[in-house]
Amino acid sequence: MSEEIIRVEELGKTFGEHQVLRKIDFSVAKGDVICILGSSGSGKSTLLRCINQLETQSCGKIFFHGSELGRRQREINEYRSKVGMVFQSFNLFNNMTVLKNCMKGTRKVLKLSKQEAFDRAITNLKAVGMAPFINAYPSQLSGGQKQRVAIARGLCMEPEVLLFDEPTSALDPEMVGDVLSVMKDLAKKDLTMLIVTHEMDFAKEVSNRVLFMDKGYIVEDAPPQKFFTAPEHPRAKEFLSRFIAG
Amino acid sequence: MTDTPTNSLEWVWFIAQKYSDLFIRGTLLTLAVSVTGTIAGFLLGYIVGIVQDTKINKEDYFFKRAMLRFFKVLSAVYVELFRGTPMIVQAMIVFYGLRQAGLEIDPISAGILVTLLNTGAYMAETVRGGINSIDAGQREGALALGMSPFSVMLGIVLPQAFRNIIPEMANTFLTNLKMTSVLNVIGVQELFLQAKTAGGTYYKYLESYLVIALIYLVLCFVFSRVFALIEKKLAARKDYVLAVEYMENTQ
Repeated sequence: MSEEIIRVEELGKTFGEHQVLRKIDFSVAKGDVICILGSSGSGKSTLLRCINQLETQSCGKIFFHGSELGRRQREINEYRSKVGMVFQSFNLFNNMTVLKNCMKGTRKVLKLSKQEAFDRAITNLKAVGMAPFINAYPSQLSGGQKQRVAIARGLCMEPEVLLFDEPTSALDPEMVGDVLSVMKDLAKKDLTMLIVTHEMDFAKEVSNRVLFMDKGYIVEDAPPQKFFTAPEHPRAKEFLSRFIAG
Repeated sequence: MTDTPTNSLEWVWFIAQKYSDLFIRGTLLTLAVSVTGTIAGFLLGYIVGIVQDTKINKEDYFFKRAMLRFFKVLSAVYVELFRGTPMIVQAMIVFYGLRQAGLEIDPISAGILVTLLNTGAYMAETVRGGINSIDAGQREGALALGMSPFSVMLGIVLPQAFRNIIPEMANTFLTNLKMTSVLNVIGVQELFLQAKTAGGTYYKYLESYLVIALIYLVLCFVFSRVFALIEKKLAARKDYVLAVEYMENTQ
């Protein structure tokens, strides 16, 4: 077993009367590529947002390298700089060029020099094939291009874990492939990733673990070979059969 | 210009020339009061707007929460007070109030103070609206990088909000340029009061006010152009230069 980075214990989240997450327990080890599957409303995105603390959990704890994550702002900021996030709607800074987008975090948070931040931005933009677009603004890019820049922006922080919240759901079908191939490259480079997705083939090919969520619970936690051939939970069977049929 | 003017148009010209120094001084004072009052008011408005938009984090230290709550209440009261009363009344209360409290404030300072307080109250709401108009994703994208909520506000949200509220800021400024005329009630010798003086000697009030109407019109026109220019300068660009040095096939 390799080193554990994040552990989630008894995590729960309610929005008013609505209980979105219940008793979530799992951990992420270094090098893991975990895909979180489940139908909409099952709590996948909320789980990811809780892990990044964009939502505060109603109960339960998150451990980072074995120590419990506190709720003080400074502690959360530092934690977030090591646990990056890529969003469905990209969330690039609209008033900044691609280059500035990739330098903001490293300059502001990691306090890198201009040159270091620039070099890091170029390296990561090259890795996602977006380096020629450093002078463009987000509004001038296609969805797939934006998402690749957003991934580069996350990579510039050199995070220990990168969270992906449905990174291809807002893209045209022909753009999806570009983004997925970037993510496959990252998996090959042993980046630890936690990915909420609806791309079954991608999950099958790239992940080493699949979490299947239903009604706020993780009902199945299995390697993809097992999950896609012999799922145990009835909801997982139903979910998969719909994909095969569709 | 020894002939006595025979019609209104000639009178306008006559008065404009004869009292040009009064009008020039009035114009300068109007500009000084409205520009300083507005800029200071914008700053105040940004501060109040940000305070109102800041959420109280239950996990913060008690002192920090208490301070934030205090400023939130204070700013809410302030906004309601100044949006709910006429500027002419505010001018009287501030000027005579301060004097009665023993503070020998001169009319110009009092005028600037009233203008800035009035502007701040309206700007606070404008800034809040501007902040709300920015997609939550912008904030989340920055938070996810580990930026502190304060630097997210200052570095990501406000610059975009600023761009969105330029038209409203222009409105406020033009309003102030004209609203300084009410400050004549506390004896600020701005354009309106000068026109009253200029019109008095020959009993030609209409013509005198026509002169300053023209001056206000020109000032407003110039400043609305300036704001349009700023807006254009900050508008999203349509083109960009491809960084060919990083194209795959050139390496």
